[in-house]
Amino acid sequence: MAEKDVEISFKKDTVSKLLSSFFKEDKTKLSGDATRLMVEMLKVFVQEAAVRSQKQAESEDCDQVDIEHFEKILPQLLLDF
Amino acid sequence: MSVDTEETHQRLKAAVHYTVGRLCQKIGEDHRRQFSRQAIAAIAETTFRQCDIFAKDLEAFARHAKRSTVSVDDVKLVARRSTALSIYIQNKSDELTQEHMSLKKKTTAKRKNIETEEESRE
Repeated sequence: MAEKDVEISFKKDTVSKLLSSFFKEDKTKLSGDATRLMVEMLKVFVQEAAVRSQKQAESEDCDQVDIEHFEKILPQLLLDF
Repeated sequence: MSVDTEETHQRLKAAVHYTVGRLCQKIGEDHRRQFSRQAIAAIAETTFRQCDIFAKDLEAFARHAKRSTVSVDDVKLVARRSTALSIYIQNKSDELTQEHMSLKKKTTAKRKNIETEEESRE
């Protein structure tokens, strides 16, 4: 099995545009380092969502991770973030 | 103005969905359990909405510190609820600082080299 050396993450540009689009004021900007950290934070968020959903599916003896599994772990996920 | 924002959001949503899909695929492979398309879409949507919350918080923290540019300190505050997350973000922040320092050293070393080269030529 070939090793996947490429690390999957959000593009810095995407995260920057995404967060900026939600700012209430036009003058609010995002520093380069802050953007890089938010890239990491979002990756952790998605990974937590996925791994917790996976564990939920496992605990229910399901072969596939379905939306119901994600819905069950969602409240705690949001509280933890 | 609002039409532009809608289009931008659609494009950004698609970008988020793409990366979320890839991350879920990898985790699915690691645990040999596939994610349904609905599950991936739900995770992507939630991530997108969470960014709204993050952005508003970041902006509020920056404004509270009387800044208009969101900084690393603001991000650290957003990560405050979970100890593990705080530590993780702190470590990443330290890595960035290290990078900046080593970059500074390289640039200073380069400059010194160029200066000595010029001196030896004269």
